Amino acid sequence: MVYADFPYLSIILLSCIVGLLIILFTPEDRKTRIKWVSAVFSGITLILSLYLFVAYDKSLGGLQFVEKVPWVESLGITYFNAADGFNLPMLLLTGIVFFTGVLTMWELENRVKEFYAFYFVMVLAVFGIFMSMDLFFIFIWYDVSLFPMYLLIAIWGTTRKEYGAMKLTLYLLAGSALVLPAIIYLFAGSGLNTFDITLLMKSGTFTPYQQKFAFILFYIGFGILAGVWPFHTWSPVGHVAAPHGVSMVHAGVLMKIGGFAILRVGIFLCPEGWQHWAPLMAVLATIGIVYGAFVGLSQKDLKYVIGYSSVSHMGIVGLGLSTVSVDGLNGAVFQMFAHGVMTALFFSAVGYIYDRTHTKVIAELGGLSRIMPVASTYFIVAAMASMGIPCLASFWGELMVFIAAFKTYPVAGALAVCALVVSALFMLRVVQRTFYGPKNEKFAHLSDVPFRLGIPRMILLATLLLFGLFPALIFDMIETASIPFFNGLP
Amino acid sequence: MKWFLFYPELYYFASGMIFLGLSMVKQANPRRDYFAAMVLAALGVLVCLLNVNQEGYLFFEAYRVDLFSQVFKVMLSMGLFLIICICSELKAIADKHHPEFYLLLFVCTLAMMMLVSGAHILTIYVALELSSYSLYILVSLRRDERIGLEAGLKYFLVGIFVSAVMIFGVALLYSATRATYVTEMARALPAALDSPMVVIGLLLTLCGFFFKLAVFPFHFWAPDVYQGAANQATAYIATASKVAAIAILIRMVAVTGDGNVYLAHVLVILSIISMTVGNLAAIVQKDLKRLLAYSAVAHAGYVLIGILGMSTFGYSSVIFYAMAMLIMKFTAFLVVVKVADDGSNLQMSQLAGLHRRSPLLALALMVSVFSLAGIPPTIGFTGKFLVFAAAMQKGYFTLVLIAMINVVISLYYYLLILKAAYLEEPAEELPPLNVSPAVKILSGVLIVVMVVAGIFPRYLIELANAAAAVLN
Repeated sequence: MVYADFPYLSIILLSCIVGLLIILFTPEDRKTRIKWVSAVFSGITLILSLYLFVAYDKSLGGLQFVEKVPWVESLGITYFNAADGFNLPMLLLTGIVFFTGVLTMWELENRVKEFYAFYFVMVLAVFGIFMSMDLFFIFIWYDVSLFPMYLLIAIWGTTRKEYGAMKLTLYLLAGSALVLPAIIYLFAGSGLNTFDITLLMKSGTFTPYQQKFAFILFYIGFGILAGVWPFHTWSPVGHVAAPHGVSMVHAGVLMKIGGFAILRVGIFLCPEGWQHWAPLMAVLATIGIVYGAFVGLSQKDLKYVIGYSSVSHMGIVGLGLSTVSVDGLNGAVFQMFAHGVMTALFFSAVGYIYDRTHTKVIAELGGLSRIMPVASTYFIVAAMASMGIPCLASFWGELMVFIAAFKTYPVAGALAVCALVVSALFMLRVVQRTFYGPKNEKFAHLSDVPFRLGIPRMILLATLLLFGLFPALIFDMIETASIPFFNGLP
Repeated sequence: MKWFLFYPELYYFASGMIFLGLSMVKQANPRRDYFAAMVLAALGVLVCLLNVNQEGYLFFEAYRVDLFSQVFKVMLSMGLFLIICICSELKAIADKHHPEFYLLLFVCTLAMMMLVSGAHILTIYVALELSSYSLYILVSLRRDERIGLEAGLKYFLVGIFVSAVMIFGVALLYSATRATYVTEMARALPAALDSPMVVIGLLLTLCGFFFKLAVFPFHFWAPDVYQGAANQATAYIATASKVAAIAILIRMVAVTGDGNVYLAHVLVILSIISMTVGNLAAIVQKDLKRLLAYSAVAHAGYVLIGILGMSTFGYSSVIFYAMAMLIMKFTAFLVVVKVADDGSNLQMSQLAGLHRRSPLLALALMVSVFSLAGIPPTIGFTGKFLVFAAAMQKGYFTLVLIAMINVVISLYYYLLILKAAYLEEPAEELPPLNVSPAVKILSGVLIVVMVVAGIFPRYLIELANAAAAVLN
């Protein structure tokens, strides 16, 4: 454990808080200023998370940049932030999606101040979850990240927004209703009077029974957020209803919280529970992959397509986790990163198109590549990433997971690969109908993405390419955490 | 006699007498009454704070002053002060009744202070009745006599019935233990807890406090009384009166020592039914005060979860919860009082457009609603977390799970409140709310307190631990 000489992690949180406060005290009608403040502070978080990613000493491994402050001593609650190979890719992802999300929402005119205020609260909490090593704080951040969603979707959303917002909030909070008892159960059961994950994860703290019991609660509770079948139904509805920037954060980062928390809380604290329930996880994940692909095939709304492809891709994350192997873990974490960037690009691209055409229905679009070729490119690249084309980041995550899955669960692995073909089919179908074919004259007057608005999409596209060409950048990072963790297992 | 131990009570008694005098002045003058009440209540908080470290017995040991009682006295005095802060426009009460209104508030606070210090069953009973009778009249004082009297009468009838039940329980306890002092009972009870008479006696005695806290099946008065009373009176019932009920419930349950299985089982059942009934009934409410009444029933259930563990940790968690309830419920009522500025009842639909009419009040409502729902990082979450942790340490896993499911159910109607305030637009354009700078500061402070105490609860938790430690 290497203590931080400078609290970089807390500065990330602090820049969200300072940004939030400045936004709150800016007059409502200074919209441009609010947007610039948001861009600057989200940019700071991006730079810091990038810096941490680069500065992390891979040869040393373990927890670095550790910040530890006793919070409530009588209950053993510690303000404990740290970075390791698992959460650094996630922090980087959050920084990227946060910054590009702010830029994607640049054209927002309605209730700008409130929007960015809630947005900052949400992202603050997301950063908090990824960096925290204290169960209590993880739960707090987890819940804080959920509640702004209701207003963000219900106020600025589109299709069936109130229904989508309510459904999403209640589903995710129901997940937290399982997580909190499990956390308290472990806290009371350990007898150590601490919420510190590094202390609780020492082997022998929990009996196998306790681990099995707590793990299934964590798995379902966090799994709801990770879009595990059959608890995924909130996700397409919520993504479709949400405004684009929120969809980006939500599908890009929030769903990853679910997968990440299963790893950080469930798997770290209850490894025996993990091994016990792994077959169930594999089954649910495979159903999710196959189901998401087939349901996506019949969707008529662009955002629904992306929503169901998210269910399918998060299934791959679940499958990776369920293999109980180093490759599986590496693949799952990589896939979370890659899918986060990819979905963000998807929603960002659809956002531009929807803002111009005011429709997301595939049948009403058509021939868009002739009207706005650049905007179409963004979507098509994302679709290619979704299909798992090599050279784009998603390929590597899926590859690793499938290799691991074939070793452990050959049937599930085979089914998942077949589902990938189906999802390639539905993505191609969407691309073909939306961007090729006869062009819809109604939209002929629309202009293409100007350079200024293209920046967020370019950043995302570049990220996909960079990590598609140099996957080792992330894999080496993840391995510093996954290999020691695996060797420490009983 | 160590009279200094009794200073807070004497102070509130004297303040009450001042309003008794004012009520005999012919000329009604609401401003004068309001400022007098404000100053007296503010000084009262100071008096209670200065007395926080006192310890000792009074009146032949029938009256116990310790950290536990003093912490609750500070909460009660703050509750009174906060309520008076929102009494600047007391339109639901006739001008000529204002002195009486304040008189009753002060007397009721006095009675509750005696209640939290009561160490003799008779002191407790007398104090309980004094506070109840003050509340009956407070409820009936509403200008619209038809609503006010109906609510008051309902409250009164249920109240005297419960009070008779309670006296019967006390008699049973006495015949089993030959004790009237709480400390003596604490000595005699653990040995006698297996006898049915003692369990029934104890339960019937607790009924008196369940009624105050609106635990099922003694919650039937709550919605009608909340709706029928003037908004400020309702706020008082929802905050200070609940805090006092929690205090005395803790003291009485702590008497049983390590606890008793029968009693714990009954409390588990009451807690589950209270939560579920309260939350389910709240979903369909259209009147905000009725909704808050049912949410109070649910909160009574959460309070019982902490108490039924019968551990010091449990009691301290409930003390923390009482602090949380005081602040978050008051904030909700602050918004009710300010939005319904003509003193009428507030329908959910009347919240429409609040985010534009007064962004600060809308924010206060949002934070208090999230706090009531138990969403971090608010004080309400920390309270729930502590209560659940206490129950879990005693092995009540299923109970905690049911409670969490209830939290999710409750979130539905809390979100409906938010939806009304943030999403819906009024049918006709309403002017911005006229919120005075004092109220703005007050709501700002409340928001900050709710959030900061949620993020950094350390000192409050330590205070609650210290207060709970003196119980045994």
